[in-house]
Order: sequence, then structure tokens, then C-alpha cells
Amino acid sequence: MMKYTVKRLLQSVLTVLIIVTAVFLLLRMLPTDYFFTEEELVKLSDQAKEDRLAAAGLKDPLGVQLVRFYGELIRGDLGTSRRIQAGVAVTEIMASKFGISMRMGLASLGVSLVLGIALGIVQTLNKDRLLDHLGTAYIIFVNAVPGLVSYSLILMFGARVLHLPSLYSVNESLRTSILPVACLALGSIASYALWTRRYMVDELNKDYIRLARVKGMSSRSIMLKHVLKNAFVPMIAYIPASVLLTIGGSLLVERFFSVPGMGPLLTDAIGRYDTSVVQACVIVYAGLGILGVFLGDVMMMLFDPRIKLVEGGESR
Amino acid sequence: MKNAVRDESFRFVEYSADAAERIGYSNYSYWRAVFQNFMKKRSAVVMAFVFFAIVIFTFIATAIGKFQYDELRTSMMEKFTSPNSEYWFGTDNLGRDYWCQVWYATQVSIRLALVVAIGECVAGIIIGCVWGYVRWLDRPLTELYNILGNIPTVIYMTLIALMVGQSFLIMAVSLIAFGWLGMARNVRNLVMMYRDREYNLASRCLGTPVRRVLVKNIFPYLISVVILRMALSIPSTIATETTLSYLGLGLDVNTPSLGLLLRNARNYFVNYPYLLVFPAVIVSLITVTFYLVGNAFSDAADPRNHV
Repeated sequence: MMKYTVKRLLQSVLTVLIIVTAVFLLLRMLPTDYFFTEEELVKLSDQAKEDRLAAAGLKDPLGVQLVRFYGELIRGDLGTSRRIQAGVAVTEIMASKFGISMRMGLASLGVSLVLGIALGIVQTLNKDRLLDHLGTAYIIFVNAVPGLVSYSLILMFGARVLHLPSLYSVNESLRTSILPVACLALGSIASYALWTRRYMVDELNKDYIRLARVKGMSSRSIMLKHVLKNAFVPMIAYIPASVLLTIGGSLLVERFFSVPGMGPLLTDAIGRYDTSVVQACVIVYAGLGILGVFLGDVMMMLFDPRIKLVEGGESR
Repeated sequence: MKNAVRDESFRFVEYSADAAERIGYSNYSYWRAVFQNFMKKRSAVVMAFVFFAIVIFTFIATAIGKFQYDELRTSMMEKFTSPNSEYWFGTDNLGRDYWCQVWYATQVSIRLALVVAIGECVAGIIIGCVWGYVRWLDRPLTELYNILGNIPTVIYMTLIALMVGQSFLIMAVSLIAFGWLGMARNVRNLVMMYRDREYNLASRCLGTPVRRVLVKNIFPYLISVVILRMALSIPSTIATETTLSYLGLGLDVNTPSLGLLLRNARNYFVNYPYLLVFPAVIVSLITVTFYLVGNAFSDAADPRNHV
């Protein structure tokens, strides 16, 4: 297992390196005008611009630039922003943003885990009856209808009926976070409910459940002790990835409610050609995505009781 | 003389498609069975009817409306008119007729979704079959998949919008260019599963061409998955389009699309709910019905549910 883990980790690191290098090369194809702030672009003469570019090392061959880039990366230096907040270190910009995204993401993750699993259990207990069908209808609606439409509906309901503010504000962050968190949770509730129901129904059809019934165990304790516990194992794989991805924030929700989080940073940076911010964002996103999948696999191995049995040296 | 007799008794059997089909199950037509299975599900048939009715109506609606999209003019006098006999869906914040905007946008979204779904499907199946069947290509294609699939689509779309431009064609091509991944992966897994089954081994030993093995022996198993993915790809393409257009990365500003409508209405629909309700209801009907029809059809298309 150790060997497998190390191999997977190395592979993941390699993939991140390839992605980062590819984006680095892509960004170097952009016109060099974007190195300057809007103000400098107008003021400086062509000669002065050339000098500044040479001084920043942007005239060197690509290979040299790439090596230097990785050198700085290892030291934790992600460069400075040129356009979004001129002269501010990228790490600083990100630090101010990811907290907001993460708090919101974790809140919605908590809400959706509780509600989603509860919905899944209710559906399983009422299989093929009205509540099950209602739950399925909700899941289909969320999956099929574009996110923007359902967010708009939530916003309208929240603003008209509950009189909640429709834009996020830092001063009143608790009350203004309710609608964004609800939007973020909407989709994950559906997917947690779907998986809970599916795994629980799968478990229910297995032989050991029939044995437990024959032995005279009550349905309640079968559900809690056997079905739910076993159904939860495959879901554990998704949780680390979900926690990690909260750092990245959600582009659409954050833009929709004007939340100053990580989500819109990347597109803003690309739109304004702020190369160092783009680079940093890509590193963060690619790293998060791959680390999430990797951690999920490791969690699966740790939580699957059969693997534990082998490790403990017990024999069946 | 003796030699001639021997040659006659022991000649090579050439491959012939007729002979190969002769021992097959005679009275079975795949597509007829699919159709029969599908028709058994009344609710799905109704849903399919609703879906096609709406799609056809988008074309009728733009024709019977009192205003044409390209002749729309802004008039501040008439802004936020509630739905009435002149403006069937009311007017937007600039006093433009909402009926024709909504239907035109729906049409654009459906067209884009269909083009992208079909494109993804064709690219995904071809690449997936090659990926699954040709052993030495597995490693390089898997690596390519990992790299392309790990970069968020928004990055590609932003780069494309800035470097190439924004139009219907560019959007369709770029969505296909990054959308085939999922389909190809799925097809590849299935092809690998069925590639080495005994009946395919037998077919290969009998000299069946690879093309025929793929089309006749493996493809029927893929159809239901392919249809399911295609059916899911239409709602998800509509969703992607709304998201990207909302962010200003999708279609150009002059092509009305759902994302653009919602972006314009974002600040007003709390006070003028009809601006949200009409497009939301139409788009939900289309995506939900298509989602359900796709699921039912993919069940019907699975050969394991036949006979």
C-alpha cells in the first residue's frame, strides 16, 4: 500500500508540473504590453519599456525564464500582481480572499452533508413511496436545470419572501451569506442524497442484511449499525476533495452575489492579463484538484475495513 | 484429376457478411426493440412529446410574436411593462419586447446544445474506440486526458474568449474541444471491457475485420451509455452556456442567450418577477424533460434489457 501511495503521489506531482509549465508557456505568448500597469503603458517610452522588460528578465530565452520561475516557486514567491492590485504580492492577495471562500464553502459543505444524507436516508426508508419520489424529483431538477436559473430562483425567493439582502457585504457577512451558502449547498445536497440512497439500497440487497433480519434484529438497528455505516465508506472518498475545493470558491455563486472570494479572481486576472495572478491561481487549482483525488483514494484505503484486516495481520 | 478433386474439397472459406449474419437471431431488430421498450414507458413518451413541442414552438413563437429580434428598439417610456396583449411577456429594463428575446434565446441555447452534444458524441466515440482498442495508445491518451481534464474549463474558455473572440461557432468548437473527454473516457472503459471477451476472440480468429468487431460486437453495448451521456450533455451545455455568458465569456453580446438575459435581469427580477419566471420555466421544462427522456431512452437502448 505504501508503494502504491508514493507512486500515486509522484504521478500527481508530475501532472501538476506539466499543467503549470503548459500555462506558463501559454502566458508567455501574450503580448508583453501586459507587463505594465495601464498608467505606465501610456507614460513610458518604447526604449524605457524595453529596458524594464529586460530588467525583469522577460527578454531571456524561455528555458531560462522557466527555470527562474520554478526557482522562485520553490521559495514560495509567486510574484507580484501588475493589474489587479499593482505591486502587491500575489500570496497576499490570495490570503485575503481564500478565507472568505473557505468559510462559505465549509458552511455549505456542513449544511449539505447533514441535509443530503438525511434526505438519502428518508428516501431509502420510504423507497418507492411519495417521499422517495419527491426527493428524486428534487435531485433531477437540480441536475437538469442550469445553476444560474436555480440561483436566480433562490435569490428571488430569499429577497421577496424572506427579505434577505441580495448582495454580499463584508460588514454584515452573516446575514448576507445565507443566500450564497444556500446556492452552494443546493447542488451538493442533491448529490449526497443521491449517493446515500444508492449505496444504502445496494447494501440493503446484500445477503448479510437478510441474515440479520432472520436473526431477528430490528430494522432500526440494521439500518444504523449495518447499512448506514457501510454505505458511508464509499462517500468518505469525496469529502477531502470537497473540503479542499472550498478554498477555490465558486466562480458563479461568488460573482452572482458579488462575494470578494477566490472564485472570480482567476477570470478577472485573465481578463486583465495579470500573468502572475493567473499563474498562481492555476497552481492552486491544479494542486487542489489533484490532491483532492489523491486524498480521496488514501481515505478509501484507510476506511475500508477489509484493508485494515489485512494490515492488522488477522486472518479470516 | 486427383489434384483437382482435392482442390475443390479443401478451398479457403472467404469471409462473407451474409454467412456471418445467417446464424444470428433472425427476427430481432435492435432499433425496433429499443423503440418498443421506450414506448412501454408512458411518462417518458409524454415527456418526449412535451420536449419536442417546446422545441418546435420556439420557432413558431419567434414567428408569431409582434416584434422581431433584430428590429427591437429601446424605449424608456415603456420599460418594465408587465405582460399585456401588446407585449406578451412584458418588456425589459430598456423597454424591449421580452417575448421575442426569451424565445430567441431559448432557440440559440437549444441549437448550441444540440451541436455541442452531437460534436462531443462523434469526437468522443471515435477517440474512445481508438483509445480502448489500440493498446499502445492507452498510456499517451490517458496522460493527455489527465492533463486536459485537470485544468478548469473556465481557464480555457477565458483564454479562448480573449485570444480568439466570441461567437456561436467559436463557442461550439471550443466546448466540443474540451467536452469529448468524458465521453471518450466512458467509451474507452467499455471498449476495454468487451474487447477481449470470448466472442470477440472468436470473431478475430474467424478473420472478422476490426471495423466490424467494433461496430457489430462492441458498439451495441456502447449505445445506451452514449445516449445517456448525450442526453445529459444537452442540459449541461445549456448550463455551461448560461454560466459563461453570465460571466461575459460566452456568446457575443449581440446574440441573445439565456445567460445574457439573466445577466441583464439580475438586478431587476426581485421587483419584476416576470423577468425571471418566463425564461426559468421554459428552460426548466426543456432541460428536465430532456433529462428524463434521455434516461428512459438509454434504459431502452441497453441490449441487456431486450428479449
